[in-house]
Amino acid sequence: MGEVVVARILFLAIAALGLLAALGTVLSRNLVHAALHLVGFFFCVACLFVMLEAEFLAAVQVLIYIGAVAILLMFGIMLTRNTRGDDATSLSGPWRLPGLVAGLCLFGALVFGINNAVSPSGASPWAGEAARPSLVEREGEPAWAAERRRAVEDMGRVVGEEFLTRYAMAFELAGLLLTAALVGAVALAHRDEVGAAELPPTVEALPADSAEPVGTAAS
Amino acid sequence: MANDIPLSWFLYFAAAAFATGLVGVLLRRNAIAVLMAIEIMLNAANVNLVAFWRYGTPAPGAGPLPGVILALLVITVAAAEVAVGIGLILLCYRRWRAVDVDRYETMSG
Repeated sequence: MGEVVVARILFLAIAALGLLAALGTVLSRNLVHAALHLVGFFFCVACLFVMLEAEFLAAVQVLIYIGAVAILLMFGIMLTRNTRGDDATSLSGPWRLPGLVAGLCLFGALVFGINNAVSPSGASPWAGEAARPSLVEREGEPAWAAERRRAVEDMGRVVGEEFLTRYAMAFELAGLLLTAALVGAVALAHRDEVGAAELPPTVEALPADSAEPVGTAAS
Repeated sequence: MANDIPLSWFLYFAAAAFATGLVGVLLRRNAIAVLMAIEIMLNAANVNLVAFWRYGTPAPGAGPLPGVILALLVITVAAAEVAVGIGLILLCYRRWRAVDVDRYETMSG
């Protein structure tokens, strides 16, 4: 019984920290602070994956999100640092109330759905179900229980096997998508000196004192 | 395995995080902040996927970890999206000298 209380307290603490970090990402005016809050949120989600016994996914989350995505966002922030003050990072005034109302309405609708979930016919309702399926080996368990126990205990290996057998097509498509994204990102961000000279002068709408941005100066 | 946090707690967390991300997408004007809010929403969806994988009984023939595989694919797509998104934002910044999404108004009638 004590373990359950500890697990619940741990969950509540991690969830509260994660939500605070998410709010910090959305609300903080300084973009670098927002990115650091985002790292905290990613880490809290990784902790929740550990509590759901998907440790491999938690490791992938830390590696990809914190190690790659957050750093990429940080680079983007640094390269597009607004030289005319921080006004572009502030929240937009007239749309503040409708945005908050939309978020609260969405949250209310989701909570309503979670509370009043209707299960498909023939299945037991899932909302009241408190305990996750046990991983302890026992007599007469269904076949999927043994499969899942192996998957939880050796998730890296099972993920590899699944990706190369059952989900081979999805794996190939993910590789194709990553290749296309790589080529696309390089093609977009590549600075073509000849093409840049032919671009129409689109900066005439700006105040004349706008300094040379950091991104162009650095590249 | 006496570890029984109710499934709905994970769902409430994911719902709250998703709503926060939506508010961020609607309220922020900086394009990179909008991208960050989209990442929050994708992560909330991932929490739901893994929670349903762990708590539910799988459909026959679904394999041992369908939810985890889908979450991995979502992570892949999110990484690709961020790479292309940052490239686009840098391009727009180079062209208009602004990262404010309200100022990208070339196509507005």
